Amino acid sequence: MSATWWYTFGTVVFFVVMLVLFWEAALVGAGFDTGSVLAAGLAGVLWIAATVPMLLDYRRRDEDAVPVRRRRAFVPLLVALACSLVLGYATGIWVIAAVPLVETIILLNWGPGIRLRVVLVVTVLLAALWAIDARFGIPADGGSTWFLLGFYAASLPAVTILSLWWWDVVLTLDRARAAEARLAATQERLRVATDVHDLQGHHLQVIALQLELAERLMTSDPEASLAQVRAARSSVDEARQGTRDLALRFRSVPLRDELANAVDLLRAAGVAAETTVDRDADLAPAAVLGPVIREATTNALRHGGGRWALLSLARDAGTWRLAIENDADDRESSGDGGGSGLPGIARRVSDAGGALAVEHRAQSFRLVVTVPAEEART
Amino acid sequence: MIRVLIADDEGMIRSALAALLRLEADIEVVAECSDGEQAVAEALRTTPDVCLLDLEMPCLDGVEVAARLTRALPTRCIVITRHARPGVLRRALAAGVSGFLPKSRDAAEVAAVIRTVAAGRRYVDPEVAADALSDERSPLTDRELDVLRAGRRGETTGQIARALSLAPGTVRNHVSAVIGKLSVSTRQQAVLMAEERGWI
Repeated sequence: MSATWWYTFGTVVFFVVMLVLFWEAALVGAGFDTGSVLAAGLAGVLWIAATVPMLLDYRRRDEDAVPVRRRRAFVPLLVALACSLVLGYATGIWVIAAVPLVETIILLNWGPGIRLRVVLVVTVLLAALWAIDARFGIPADGGSTWFLLGFYAASLPAVTILSLWWWDVVLTLDRARAAEARLAATQERLRVATDVHDLQGHHLQVIALQLELAERLMTSDPEASLAQVRAARSSVDEARQGTRDLALRFRSVPLRDELANAVDLLRAAGVAAETTVDRDADLAPAAVLGPVIREATTNALRHGGGRWALLSLARDAGTWRLAIENDADDRESSGDGGGSGLPGIARRVSDAGGALAVEHRAQSFRLVVTVPAEEART
Repeated sequence: MIRVLIADDEGMIRSALAALLRLEADIEVVAECSDGEQAVAEALRTTPDVCLLDLEMPCLDGVEVAARLTRALPTRCIVITRHARPGVLRRALAAGVSGFLPKSRDAAEVAAVIRTVAAGRRYVDPEVAADALSDERSPLTDRELDVLRAGRRGETTGQIARALSLAPGTVRNHVSAVIGKLSVSTRQQAVLMAEERGWI
């Protein structure tokens, strides 16, 4: 988007600069004295300078309150007025004198319909001035140069507006595309909501029945009643796990982001964490390496007391190599918490044809996972 | 005996959890609070060993309570949440929280975590950590987030500029960049999006 904006900006400034060069050439060619040519050139440069802030304001016209914009437009308008007066005095040619002021006026923040009308009016005005100049103002021997200059000056507002209109169209398209993406995401969320509703409804009914049975059995058969209460609790766990699986089905982030998140978390916990990531990290098998990063980070966070951690993901000779090293004491890594733990990771890695190596050193713990890169599939 | 404070605005959950924890031989529940302000006041009065704080509470949220308490007392804080929104774990760790649990853990597990934390260790639930690691990354720089934060209540460009000691032009440039990156059309939409994702 930025490139498109600078293209539009460049086009408008280019037209303005060309017009200034054009009238300087015409004035020199028609034998105006040096003072007038210099004054006209200086006024032209000032006008170009006044155009720049007006264009920049055009880009951010949605962001600021109206009074702020009006205040900011005041200085360029004054400068343009001064340029017009100087040009009128130095050249005596109406159409050249009028152009800076007119161009600045059309760059003001008009509403869409109003801007079109303003452009029509000023174009007619410039054309009329040009006709007056052609009859009374310009040197008789000018010929086609003056004709072209008048035509160029009169069409400048229309050309400017067309460029800005093109920018507006691109902007609208860009927003429409983003809105479409958001809509798709929202629809997906709605679908998930329906799935969650069905799943919860089913489990809630099961739990209600189990509890009802427990209530009935409470006095006659306390043992069976207790069994039903336990069954109800495990139904709750099932419902919870099912809901979580549904929610997670649509959450997958690139490995690069996962590593960056891990470093953020470790740093927030006071661990000096560093990461080096291969440029093509997004091609690495996220389904295998993602859980490794999660497990290792959870362990590093949980045991605390760590001062540093190094995470690296690199590719060499057809294999991806993920290394995670930290100084935390890792004696309990595989047992607690009900997570998949190191054995789970080792199984997943070997299923993918890779290998897991764990090195306990005096001051550190190092986990290295290597997985073959599958170029063909990506 | 581990002395515990429980703060949760949902009365049923709070009282059930308190009743279950009282059944543990080595845990004593010394205070039950229903909002953040009350939790801070009660903690300062009773000086518990461990504070069990719900994340979503009126007045002050769990992380804000923890940030105040860890500065003022030698107490350790555990934050409990229903769904760990992006960025919350990072904020909690930076605030000095020692434990982070989802609400779905049963009382026996909560008691085990209270013991872990009381023994001076940190506990981050694997489920919460997994959620935090699969967060969408914020595409915005810290400065851009500052600008959004300073303008989240509809402040003008001038007010934001004064609050951050920046030039109004710089603020406008940051806002343009944010709007471009998030492909929204106004600053207000950008603020809403950033709040929804937990970036500010």
